Amino acid sequence: MKFRLALLAFTIFTVAMTSCKKTEIQEDNDEELITTMILKFTPSTGGASTSFTFDDPDGPGGIAPSLDSIRLDANKIYNVEVQLLNKTASPVDDITLEVKNESEAHRFYFLPSANVTIGNLDRDINGVSLGIKSTWTTTTTGTGSIIVILRHYANNPPNKLEADNASDPKSDTDIQVIFPVKIS
Amino acid sequence: MKKIIFNLVLCFIAAQAFSQTCDGTITGHVVDADTKQKLAGASVSIPSLGLTQVTDDKGDFKFVGICDGQLKIIVTHISCDNYTTEANFKNKLHLDITMPHARQTLGDVVVEGQRKIANTGFAKQLSTKELNESKGLNISEALSKLNGVTILQTGSTIAKPILHGLHSTRVITINNGVKQEGQQWGNEHAPEIDPFIAGKLSVIKGVDELKYGSDAIGGVVLVEPKKMRTTPGASGELNALYGTNNKQQILSGSFEQQFKSLPGFTYRLQSTIKRSADVRTPNYSLNNTAADEVNFSVTTALRKKNIESELFYSYFTSKLGIFTGSHIGNLTDLLDAIASDKPDNIYLNNSSYKIGRPRQEVLHQIVKSTTSLKIEKHKLTLQVAFQNNDRSEFDIVRRSDNTKPQINLVINTLSEDLIYEHPKVGNITGSAGLSFMQQNNSYRGRYFIPNYDANTAGAFIIEKWQKHKWQVQAGVRADFKNIDTRRIRSSGDTISNIFNFKTIAASGNIARDISQNWKTNLGISLSQRAPYVNELLSDGIHHGTATYERGNITLVPEKSTNISLGLSYKNDAKTFESDLLFYNNNINDFIYEQPRPDAPVLTIAGAFPLIEYTSTDAQLTGIDHSFQWKLIPSHLTWTNKTALIFARNKSINDWLINIPSQRFTNQFAWDFRDGKSLKESSISIEMSNVLRQTRVPDPKNGRTDYKDPPPGYTLLDMEASTKINLAKKPIVLAASIRNLLNTSYREYLNSFRYYTDEMGRNVTLKATINL
Repeated sequence: MKFRLALLAFTIFTVAMTSCKKTEIQEDNDEELITTMILKFTPSTGGASTSFTFDDPDGPGGIAPSLDSIRLDANKIYNVEVQLLNKTASPVDDITLEVKNESEAHRFYFLPSANVTIGNLDRDINGVSLGIKSTWTTTTTGTGSIIVILRHYANNPPNKLEADNASDPKSDTDIQVIFPVKIS
Repeated sequence: MKKIIFNLVLCFIAAQAFSQTCDGTITGHVVDADTKQKLAGASVSIPSLGLTQVTDDKGDFKFVGICDGQLKIIVTHISCDNYTTEANFKNKLHLDITMPHARQTLGDVVVEGQRKIANTGFAKQLSTKELNESKGLNISEALSKLNGVTILQTGSTIAKPILHGLHSTRVITINNGVKQEGQQWGNEHAPEIDPFIAGKLSVIKGVDELKYGSDAIGGVVLVEPKKMRTTPGASGELNALYGTNNKQQILSGSFEQQFKSLPGFTYRLQSTIKRSADVRTPNYSLNNTAADEVNFSVTTALRKKNIESELFYSYFTSKLGIFTGSHIGNLTDLLDAIASDKPDNIYLNNSSYKIGRPRQEVLHQIVKSTTSLKIEKHKLTLQVAFQNNDRSEFDIVRRSDNTKPQINLVINTLSEDLIYEHPKVGNITGSAGLSFMQQNNSYRGRYFIPNYDANTAGAFIIEKWQKHKWQVQAGVRADFKNIDTRRIRSSGDTISNIFNFKTIAASGNIARDISQNWKTNLGISLSQRAPYVNELLSDGIHHGTATYERGNITLVPEKSTNISLGLSYKNDAKTFESDLLFYNNNINDFIYEQPRPDAPVLTIAGAFPLIEYTSTDAQLTGIDHSFQWKLIPSHLTWTNKTALIFARNKSINDWLINIPSQRFTNQFAWDFRDGKSLKESSISIEMSNVLRQTRVPDPKNGRTDYKDPPPGYTLLDMEASTKINLAKKPIVLAASIRNLLNTSYREYLNSFRYYTDEMGRNVTLKATINL
């Protein structure tokens, strides 16, 4: 009899427990999301800087992202800095800091098919290219494109080497954006 | 000399005396009181003489050399209450014993009449031998020993069963009477069940599935624990396993007891602890493929004259590593990974028990109470169950100090089932029931499916008629489902949807024993499955396949018409048995993922191909055939299994994706004669041939698969077992070798065929001790 009473009590308890539970509504929160990449160009000779952006403020899907064309002057040297944001977070999350903090596990690649060469990439703590900062040198006028890639080395230790290319199996792609480029 | 003669004479006289009073025989015949069937395997004992016999296939037993006198005879059988009789024995006695059927154990509420009806279409059960052999495998792998069942895998740690080409939400899993409600939608969501809990593993299709839902288009998987003991005393079982491939260690035990002072009350404790390291393919081991599992369950049962109650609690928790080399960022990464025939060395050969990212951590708890009441011959059963499923997925993240999961999904489900079984009227038995379910899902992190509240209500009725060589069964069921979803996007936009679905199912089955040898069976099932939230409202990147998946809120329930025709043959000597099943499942509004090559989704990681849930009319046709041939009776047995399936997407005149390829299995088993110390020894070798899947969707209709199906393969498995007695306790020792030849191969139904080979040779050593 005691057993059945316990059973009854238990049944009531479970029913009560679930019916009292209210749905918690959580916001979408993809902390790994990068919505925005800003390339900030400052002429090496000084002067006003210009920025070109890939922007997808609502993340993948939904409203399509916007993409700027990079417009540069011919025969000029630019200091370029990359900034990454997650605009779905509030306040807006600066992802660049995370990449800097784990610099030995990240690397930017700039693959141009335009009259521009890219070099002088900044280094990670092990002295291997990182690419948050770089130097872009334009030549003659023309149009083309540039692929900006951010690779992440998930393994621990990352074993990131200078010779690794942008499709190295040790790393995977966090960012791959193709910017149109116009040099005039 | 005198002395010797004296002794001889004495012996002679003694022998004479013995033969006069102690050459009696007791014969007997045992039948089940309810079914009138002959009861094989009943144990008949005469405690005063220390004698025990077991009834044969015909229910007969015989004792010889019995002395005259007052004797007490006890008959026990696993599914019956004990029977005791006393007789003043003289020379000869024949007993016709009718065993009272046990006040039905609760498991029987779930599967009605399965034991009595041999051939009800697609109803397959793992034999005790197969169940023993599958120790150490997960529940899906164990089920795949059944002909017609294959597995869908994500790497080596995650597997779910495919029944006749259908899986996930088209298959209902009933765990100890409770419809398992977990995260079952994704291909990478394995059923959260400890295989050691199962005393019986079966798959059913047809009329009985109506008990569980109208949506079991693929069938029902039943996981039933061993029946609780019905007599006072205690018993237990301990299993220990070690697998060489991934250094798998398993310890599983159960203990149950019924007190003399508390008749009718039984409890059982059961627990399994499992740990395995990285999986090894023939040429390399895969980093981060280790797994941990800790499970336990407590069952208490109380049986009184007309009432039975069972309280069950189970706790299942697993931590599954996912191969690091399978992590990809975008389509280019996927294509790069596919292009290389072996993962990069950085992801190989750690061979550790460590589980890092990516991984899944899953907790599943069930609390269930079942109470059956018998009034006259009416039976009423009420079951209330609460389930909590908590799944966390840990992706590869940027910051190495991040310990949080990237997605967390919690489903709480409360279900109530009321089943009424009416008394036998003429040749008709039947039952009717009502089911209700309330469910709440909430998520945190990366969006996968929305928060939702779902309510369902259903009712069914099943009737079975049986006379002579005919059996007719029929049933109907209706369900109503309401889903109320909410998603708050980070922008603050709320996306809310309310869905209402009505589904109706009906099923009929006719079976006939044509002769002693031939039996046939025809079944027709109509079932409907309402779309699930993931099919309605997915919206995001699926990293494993580098696609962008999008749900479709206009989807309607799938409607399936399944016809199955079974034919079985058994020769008179019972040395040859054959079973043939033909099925044709037409599914209208079949939900699947259709690529939209014209509309890629551009993201910061590049463009992802869009795949959208859509519906078509599908047709799945197949044949399962098996035979068992005792080439040398009681020694050599040849078992052959063939499973063929063809699945069409009729609307676009194409094949369906992820359908098992044709497979054939041959097994030769040798049973040894019992020795002095080794009993029930056997050894078997099995060869499975899996053909290449050539029936895949045409890339012209949009690419869903970036790698052609892998070539076919042949695998050899071996199994050996024996039973010894140690301190009067039987111990079963077994060894199994999977992939004996260490063959490198890839399986079409494993999504990791993009990256790695399957598991290499694995030798598992097992010991089972009955306490």
